[in-house]
Amino acid sequence: MKILKPVLALTLTCIVWGLILGYVHRITESKIAEAERKEREKMIAEIFPGCSFEEENSIFYCFQNNRLVGKAVEVETKGYGGTMRVLVGINADNTVRGVRVLSHNETRGIGSRATEPSFLSQFENLGKEQLAFKPQGQVEAITGATISSRAILEAVKRALEYG
Amino acid sequence: MAEEKPNLRWEAEKGLLKKNPVFVILLGLCPFLAISKSVEDAIGMTLAFGFVLLGTCLVTSLIRRWVPRDVRIPMFVVIIASFVTITELIVRAYSPTLREHLGIFLPLITVNCIVLGRVEAFSSKRSVLESLADAIGMTAGFGLAIISISFIRELLGTGGIKFFGYSFTIFGQPASGFLLSPGGFLVMGGILALLKKLGVI
Repeated sequence: MKILKPVLALTLTCIVWGLILGYVHRITESKIAEAERKEREKMIAEIFPGCSFEEENSIFYCFQNNRLVGKAVEVETKGYGGTMRVLVGINADNTVRGVRVLSHNETRGIGSRATEPSFLSQFENLGKEQLAFKPQGQVEAITGATISSRAILEAVKRALEYG
Repeated sequence: MAEEKPNLRWEAEKGLLKKNPVFVILLGLCPFLAISKSVEDAIGMTLAFGFVLLGTCLVTSLIRRWVPRDVRIPMFVVIIASFVTITELIVRAYSPTLREHLGIFLPLITVNCIVLGRVEAFSSKRSVLESLADAIGMTAGFGLAIISISFIRELLGTGGIKFFGYSFTIFGQPASGFLLSPGGFLVMGGILALLKKLGVI
């Protein structure tokens, strides 16, 4: 049977590499989960310094001296380069505490400017009504990065409504 | 069959300039242009690319006598894809920042024509040592090309260079168009023309 040899060779290749991949996945799985968790925790700690937090339905409630000071919500939004994961910290009075970008695929040097502190810090202490671009609101969009700026703005708005 | 005496030095050297995968063979330009925007990313991409290329060339060269001609491409693709997945898992576990910067282009190394090209044209026909020498040379050539182009693009496009925490700025009015694909083509074309003129390639 001439057909048998290629079929066997290909099947064998797939089985062997499947096993190898399964093994690599098993040894890196916990590391990956931990790296992601650390990243998120680091950002929450940046927004709420000195707080302990509890997770419930993927909302992080932040406590300081056993008093609820706010919460952090992770929101997915669509930027210029696809999905962006944005972490929004919200004060107890429903104003924005701080914004961080967990992951994004914006163009480096252009859209990515909307993920940097100089842009994100504008959102601090803003309430729901002020969340719009100037002149209606208090947020200044970045020239040349309108789509990325809008994506972050939408994410922050959604986080406030959600919480 | 009398095999020619392998010239390992030539196999390793040719990738750098004479048969540079990017400047001369002109393969894999799409991910190349997408990643060559910052020196840091370029170095990360070179490492990931080198790991995949070395691994794939080693394995395909080892099994070359047992690969049936009819299914060689699917077998090579399975091997390449496996190495890419391994790379991705390792990068995600140990360097989430690099994963974030390389984005979709890390998994896309699978369909990078340089890798399949080297396997099909070289390592599936040559001894392990020759294949490894070739893979090292090609990685060096890829690295040379992507790092030099990304240096120019980052310098012109952002006005300075950011490099593992160190950064400097030269001018304040950068031409951000160099970070977009047309800018990439411009720089690439400029370098190609220059190298041709100088007779390097």
